[in-house]
Parts: sequence; C-alpha cells; structure tokens
Amino acid sequence: MKLVKISWRNLWRNSTRTNVTITAVALCIAILIIFQSLIIGLIGKAVHNTTNLVVGEVQIHAIGYLDDRSIYKSLKNVDKIRAVAKENNIGMVERSYGFGLISSGTKSAGTQFWGIDPESELKYFDFANHIDEGNFLTKTSLKKVVLGNKLARSLAAELGTELVIFVQGADGSLGNELFYVTGILGNVADNIDRGAAIILRDDFDILFSTNNLIHEIALNSNGKLEAEEIQKLMSAKAAGVAVETWKELMPTIAIMTEKMSVFMLTMFSLIFTIAASLGVMNTLVMSTYDRMKEFGIIRAIGATPWLIIRQVSLEAILLTFLASIIGTVIGLSIAIYLQVYGIDISGKGNLAFGGIVFDPIWRASVSLKSVFLPVVLMMLTSIVASIYPASIAARIKPVEAIHYKP
Amino acid sequence: MSSKREIASLHKVVKNYGEGKVLTKALRGISMKILEGDFSVMMGPSGCGKSTLLNIIGGLDRTTSGEVKFNDENFNTLSNKALSLIRRQHIGFVFQNYNLLPVLNAYENAEYVLMLQGVAPAKRREKVMHLFQEMGLDGLENRYPRELSGGQQQRVAIARAVVTEPQLVLADEITANVDSETAQSLLELMATLNKNNSTTFLFSTHDPAVIKFAKKIIILKDGIIHSEKASIEETGQFAHR
Ligand SMILES: Nc1ncnc2c1ncn2[C@@H]1O[C@H](COP(=O)(O)OP(=O)(O)OP(=O)(O)O)[C@@H](O)[C@H]1O
Ligand SMILES: [Mg+2]
Repeated sequence: MKLVKISWRNLWRNSTRTNVTITAVALCIAILIIFQSLIIGLIGKAVHNTTNLVVGEVQIHAIGYLDDRSIYKSLKNVDKIRAVAKENNIGMVERSYGFGLISSGTKSAGTQFWGIDPESELKYFDFANHIDEGNFLTKTSLKKVVLGNKLARSLAAELGTELVIFVQGADGSLGNELFYVTGILGNVADNIDRGAAIILRDDFDILFSTNNLIHEIALNSNGKLEAEEIQKLMSAKAAGVAVETWKELMPTIAIMTEKMSVFMLTMFSLIFTIAASLGVMNTLVMSTYDRMKEFGIIRAIGATPWLIIRQVSLEAILLTFLASIIGTVIGLSIAIYLQVYGIDISGKGNLAFGGIVFDPIWRASVSLKSVFLPVVLMMLTSIVASIYPASIAARIKPVEAIHYKP
Repeated sequence: MSSKREIASLHKVVKNYGEGKVLTKALRGISMKILEGDFSVMMGPSGCGKSTLLNIIGGLDRTTSGEVKFNDENFNTLSNKALSLIRRQHIGFVFQNYNLLPVLNAYENAEYVLMLQGVAPAKRREKVMHLFQEMGLDGLENRYPRELSGGQQQRVAIARAVVTEPQLVLADEITANVDSETAQSLLELMATLNKNNSTTFLFSTHDPAVIKFAKKIIILKDGIIHSEKASIEETGQFAHR
C-alpha cells in the first residue's frame, strides 16, 4: 500500500468533481500550449522576416567599420569566410559601401551607395523582391541604379531618370558618372528608404576607383542555425574582424521582440495557471472538509502532519498530471494543425511596424518548450495551490476531527 | 502487582473546554497509573470525561494543567509530531464508530500503521494475515468497510490497533454499536491478547459485558476518579455486581 495509491483512490471518491477539475486544468494547459506556440511562431517568424530582409542573422565587418563607415576599412580574408559559409550551407552576400551625392535636375541628395551582387542578394535576401516600380538589378544592369522610395521622391526621380553621381574615390580622385533609375524599392527599412542607391559591384569599383573592397558580409542560414551558432563558427575561423548577430546589430528590435514574447507569455500563463490552480485548490479544499474525520483518524493512529500534507499534495499532483496528459494531447494536436495550416491575418494592410515585419499567415511554432513550459508551470502552481488545503488538513486537531460532521 | 512496569501515569490532570460562560470542566484533577498488563475499564455517567481522559492519555489532546507521562516522557514537552510518533509506535486506538478509512479495504486498513512504521511489505502481510486468521477475519481482506458488518468493521479496527503490538490499547466504547454476542467475542479476543502478549488495555464503557472482563474498574464522576477497585478475577469480591 503506497501513499500514491491512497491519494489516487481519494481522487476518485467524488469522480464528478475530479473530472470537472481535470477537464478545466486540461483545457488551460491546452490553451497555454496553443498560445505559447502561436506567440513563438509569430515572433519567430517576425524576427526571421526581419533578418531575411537585408540584415541577415550575422554580419561581418572590419573592426571599427560601423563606427565611421570609412571606405578604407574593408574586410580581409574574405576567402576564409566564404569557405566557412559554404561548408555550413550558410547563405552569404558581400556588399561594398561608399558615400556620395546624387543630383537630378535641380535636386540633389547625399546617398549611401551599395555595391552588390544581385544574384546572391535575390537568392539569400528578400529586399530585392520589395520593388515598387521597375525592376531590380540583374548581372548586366551596368550604369543602372535602384533607389529607396523616399530618396527617389526627394530627387523627384522616376524610372529611367538620368542621375548625376559625384563621389570621392578611394584614391582621392573625384568620380562622376551618369546612372539611370531602373527600379524603386517599396518600404524596406528606414535607412534604405531614405538613402540607399543600389548598384552593381562592378560599377561601384569604377565609381570609387576601388578593387573589390568588401565592407560588409551578411550571412543568412534562413533559420537553420541560431545566430549565435553562426557567430561562433565565423569567429573561430576569421580573426581580426567584427562578427555580430542581428541582436547586436538591431538591439531595439531584439529587445522589443524579446519583451513582447516574454510579456505576452507571462501574462497569459499567469492568468490561466492561476485560474486553473484555483480550481485545483477549490477541489482539494472541498475534499479536505469532506474527509476531516479521516484525517483525524489517521492522525490518531500515528500519521504526522507532514504525511498528511504529502498526501493532499500528491492528490494535486496526480490530478494535474492526468490533466497534463489530456491537455497536452489536445493542445499539441491543435498547435500542430496551426503550425501546418496557420491563421490568415493578412487583411489588406501592411503588416510591419517598428521595423518588424509580420507574416500574413500566422503559424504556430511547436517546440518542446511550448509543451514543457505550460505543463511544468501548471504542476508547480498546483502544488502551491495544494498547500492551503494540505495545511488545513495537517493542522486539524485529531479529537475534534474524529467527531467532525461535515 | 507493584512489580509491574509502569507504562503511563497521570498527575493532577485538568482539562477544560471553552472559557467564560461556556467553560466545561471535563477533567478536574486526575491522577492514576497504567501498568503493563492492565485490563482496566472506566465507567461513569455520560459526560463524566471518559473519552476526554482516553484522548489525553493517548496524546490526542492536551491537558489544561497537570501532566501525562508515557514511558517516562512528559507529553507537555513533546511536539505534535513527537506525539504522533509515540502513537504510531506504542499506542493503539479503537473508537466507538469503527472509524476505518473508506478508501482502504480491510487488509489495507489493518496494514496502515505498519506502513507508517516502515515495516517491509512481506512482513506486514505476514502479521496482518496471521492476526486476521486469529480474529476470524480471514476471507474478508479485500472487502471495503462499506461491505462489512458493524461487528466485522470493529474487528478490523481492533486488528489495526493491535497488529503493531503496541504497549497500550485505548478503546472508547467499542461495544456500543455491536450486538452482545459480537461484543463478547471482541472482548474475548482482547482478553486473549492481554494474556498472551501482555498488551495493556484501557476501556471506557457502559456495557456490563465489558465490565465482566475487567481486571480493574475505575469509576469516573464529574471529571474525577470516584473509586478504583480490582475486579472479581483479581479479588473475588466483585461477584454480586
Ligand atoms: N470538544 C469539546 N468542546 C467542549 N466541550 C466538550 C468537548 N468534548 C467534550 N466536552 C465536554 O466535556 C465533558 C466530558 O465529555 P466526554 O466526551 O469526555 O464524556 P464521556 O464520559 O465520554 O461521555 P459519554 O459516555 O457520553 O461518551 C462533557 O461535558 C462534554 O460536553
Ligand atoms: Mg465518550
């Protein structure tokens, strides 16, 4: 005869009450699992969309480059980085940056020039698909430029507009060239919208009199690897460069998404587990009062108060355990359904705010964590909830309890 | 007789319930000794304090003043937990209303205290089955209390109290709810245990059948011991009762 067995039998003395409580707790657990996977899915996808756009999961720069963006601070040892990326199947693009002036008719604007390879940008990143007008660059788009939409507006530039570009080359010479607008980007990110002029790397080299200077390498494994893993891989192989994750590059977004998910999960989990554990507590308090006399008897024949606490808590644990199994089965099935099919939240509007891009289809992301956390949380709160009824049972005076009439 | 070992002793035990207007003086200064091998019966009118006294001797309730000693340990100085452990190891309780645990069958009820004591399952089985045989409970092991008659339930309750071979068994009106034949057999059973194992018994009762078995009779009135006398068996002077 074990304590568990006694608790188990006690649980089923009032089977209706126990069943109702188990159902309630199971539903709470199911809802928590679903909600948790949905939030993780939403935030995860938003982060993914954001890194996928242009930044990537990890970027590599020459040390100090991001502080002054000097054209002379370019990356060495790019071959090593290429090799690591290839070996680990990580998408990689190389970008050159330089500053200059664009003028169109009477209007002019300071601009950041991006020298890029359109094929790899299209393959590994998303921003090239966000073209509002015209087309993105192709391998052969010499003397063509793609502009951020706000920059285009301030230059009053349209497709085909001829732009005069002035820059100071790396050798100190003055470069000036004519380019033609081939595409205008939609909203991508503020710095791009306001100030990016995207051209081919070949054009960049001519314009700035450089020879293959690379200022930025953006890496994107498309979620296959954690940003930190990529960072580790790269840091191990490429010395003397700054390897930073998107969290370090975009701390506001990292903190915002982190806070959002933590806040929502905590609030929601708290509300539901507290509600459910109140149910557990209620059941146990009722059954404790029903059994006052029995607690009196077992105290009289030698049970310590602690044993009674254990027995009542064990009932809470058994009840929650059963509810966890049922809740997990229900919650997991629905969460998996939502992972596969998702919820359409597209409507009409743009689903981006604060630099975070949300997906039109909201999918759950089921993980061990999204099941484990609600179950463990519920277990713990149930045990806490059983302390009150258990202490009622443990504190009774045996003599009074034996004569107690419910 | 004075060579018998003293199990418990009470010194000027007072027990009051309530306070002010509703103050009830249940025990008003009781001093007594319980010796090994006693088979004593407490009698007295309803409300004279019999149950209260049994509860206090068993450490179920605390005195208002005075002291109870059990194996030379003063109950006043012991925690609730320590009292629980003394009950578990050394004292058996039998109540008027059987008071078996409804979720346990007869066997499990009898086994319960052995389980608390940490006795190994095989040893528990051996003890309980042996006792059940002796008490005519064999065959009823798997029955739940609701499936047993009052007499059978009381038998199981006695089995539960004595299976641990306690020093002292406290029995509060245990024959009140069973017929006289059953009462007779329950008492015979306990008398045998008293004789063979020198288990000490203290009864409270109104039942003449119980008194017939007593070695010592304690008359309680208004919370004090009115008289205490050795019974027929011991003195031969109690025959006309
Ligand atoms: N928990 C309690 N609270 C208040 N008064 C109590 C309590 N228990 C007992 N009493 C009172 O104490 C006195 C002694 O009660 P007790 O139960 O010991 O009597 P008893 O001799 O066992 O009576 P009976 O033969 O009817 O069982 C009675 O007056 C009773 O009303
Ligand atoms: Mg009584």
